[in-house]
Amino acid sequence: MTDIGSTPAELPGKAHGRSGSLLTESPMMKSRNAAEFRFRAYGLTAIVVALLTLAITLFTIVRDGTPAFFQAKLTYQVFIDAAVVDKNGTADPVEMAKVTTIGYARLLSNSLLAYLDEKGVAVEGMTDKEITDMISKDAPARLRDRVLADPSLVGQTITVKALVGGRIDGYLKGRVTRESSANDSNVTPRQLDMADRMVEAGILRSGFNWRFLTAPDASDLRPEAAGLGIALMGTLYMMMLVLIFTLPIAVAASIYLEEFAPKNWFTDLIEVNISNLAAVPSIVYGILGLAAFINFAGLPSSAPIVGALVLTLMTLPTIIIATRSAIRAVPPSIRDAALGVGASKMQTVFHHVLPLAAPGILTGTILGLASALGETGPLLLIGMVAFVTNYPASPLDGGFMDPATALPVQVYSWASRSDPAFIERSSGAIIVLLIFLVCMNIVAILLRRRFERRW
Amino acid sequence: MYDAPANKQSVDQSNQKITARNVQVFYGDKQALRDVSVDIEDRTVTAFIGPSGCGKSTFLRCLNRMNDTVAIARVEGDIRLDGEDIYHPMVDPVQLRAKVGMVFQKPNPFPKSIYDNVAYGPKIHGLTRSKSELDGIVEESLKRAALWNEVKDRLQESGTGLSGGQQQRLCIARAVATGPEVLLMDEPCSALDPIATAQVEELIDDLRQNYSVVIVTHSMQQAARVSQKTAFFHLGNLVEYGETGTIFTNPQDPRTESYITGRIG
Repeated sequence: MTDIGSTPAELPGKAHGRSGSLLTESPMMKSRNAAEFRFRAYGLTAIVVALLTLAITLFTIVRDGTPAFFQAKLTYQVFIDAAVVDKNGTADPVEMAKVTTIGYARLLSNSLLAYLDEKGVAVEGMTDKEITDMISKDAPARLRDRVLADPSLVGQTITVKALVGGRIDGYLKGRVTRESSANDSNVTPRQLDMADRMVEAGILRSGFNWRFLTAPDASDLRPEAAGLGIALMGTLYMMMLVLIFTLPIAVAASIYLEEFAPKNWFTDLIEVNISNLAAVPSIVYGILGLAAFINFAGLPSSAPIVGALVLTLMTLPTIIIATRSAIRAVPPSIRDAALGVGASKMQTVFHHVLPLAAPGILTGTILGLASALGETGPLLLIGMVAFVTNYPASPLDGGFMDPATALPVQVYSWASRSDPAFIERSSGAIIVLLIFLVCMNIVAILLRRRFERRW
Repeated sequence: MYDAPANKQSVDQSNQKITARNVQVFYGDKQALRDVSVDIEDRTVTAFIGPSGCGKSTFLRCLNRMNDTVAIARVEGDIRLDGEDIYHPMVDPVQLRAKVGMVFQKPNPFPKSIYDNVAYGPKIHGLTRSKSELDGIVEESLKRAALWNEVKDRLQESGTGLSGGQQQRLCIARAVATGPEVLLMDEPCSALDPIATAQVEELIDDLRQNYSVVIVTHSMQQAARVSQKTAFFHLGNLVEYGETGTIFTNPQDPRTESYITGRIG
């Protein structure tokens, strides 16, 4: 290139001092290295900040939510007095059902007072009412259910595990203190002393609270009895339905658009629409669901089927986009190979393209489901924030039409109640929701592995 | 070098397998092929040579209607297989492709087992009634593709785990398994090393016993080695078509001469 006769000084590199020793860093190189170092530092900082945020979030949730899984209970002997629960002595369940929880509350109270007397547990100046108020309002209902389910218990002395009120439970968890109880009309310092005595005597004990996962929601006065049972069922029903609705529609639409549809203005329009629908705020789908499914189609409000339809509308675009890119990622040479041996278009798609795209499709679908799982806004609009205490029936008995709530909605509704015991449960519900999410993601990863192993 | 093909000229060239007349191909507004008329003979290897973009692959893909998969491609003219118009509205390209098999430039085995790769064609065309019959076809096809001895003990292993040359022979076995009458090969050796190329070339020569083979190649030496007839394409035109020996030793057209002597292309 350069003339042989030209001196080295005339080479373009020389003018910029690039011919110095390799052992000394040129100024240009120095600034380039510095820029690279700075960029790495920015990236590392970003990751550290992200991880810290995640860690703090998880820590707070776990700290606030773990107590929700534990609940204090009184364990003592209760005499089921036939004079109270079965006045006529008929053992007829219909007759016995006429006795309300007030009767059972009396049983629980009297037995507790007698039991404490027997054990010699007492607090100076404490009235009987103060003591019996420590029992949760939920306990009589539990006892009533138990006796009605098994009338042979009448006349016997049985061991009962009765919930204590939310304040006493909160005291054992450290949420309620003597200072706070001074300003609280629901609890007296004497009750807290009594709780300490009961713990010493082994009557009051804290244990794992399965009913947090199985029980229905409870009213404002009984936070200790509130559980996630119906929300879990509602969420499970909705996820099942969303999967059943979205997967076939999304896969069929994606295959058609990718493999069969002619490229013209109409398919371009569809494509643009799908991308735009993925960006529509979810609350808009809530309004649409309210108008279309409840007001127009006449489906019941608060029903998992309506929630599932709304969430289907919301997740479809996302899943279609993921599925299409998974299909597009299958190398064209595979399609050529299949067509070349005389496979029809459909055989090519179903025998070769779909199996190769399956991991991507599954991942997209489960990620779409996961985002639907955490969706609250649209469900509020279709009435899934309702206070539901009856479990929905099994899917075979039309359970999809029964009122239910959903996990994120339950989190929302508990967080908006005044009693701090509900805030604790709200965090507990978030933990359950996160576990649900992690399980779904693990399923996605396992399925992905499984399909990828088939070469 | 050109002596070898000259010896192969003694094949029976009387029957024509494919006749193409005035074939024009358009990609959108662009014309890719102009007035190509070729007679391809049975039990003969026909090579298409020419510089990149000359239309030789396009023409090859017309012969089994693989161009149908390209939305903007339009084919005009008349291509007959055994006297039947393959672009007739009644012809299903899927049926045509079972008769006219194809091997592609890059080895593209299915990500399935070796056995399934070969068995796939016979399965979808319903060529067999029993498992043992299918086993027979797989073995026969792998033998024809000179791959049987190398893979007979690992038929259930993935086809994508084979070496490049083995993969390409697997693709040939897959094409042969459907019992085609014509085999189209689109630069089958361009992704292979010289040893694998030699094996495939030897195989092509064997396949001539049963099939009409059409091969597109960039390598003039390869065309000279394996083919009996050669067509030279240039800028979408069929410049010259004739006996391979004649094309290489005594080309009629100055463009052919420039190409084979290395002045263009």
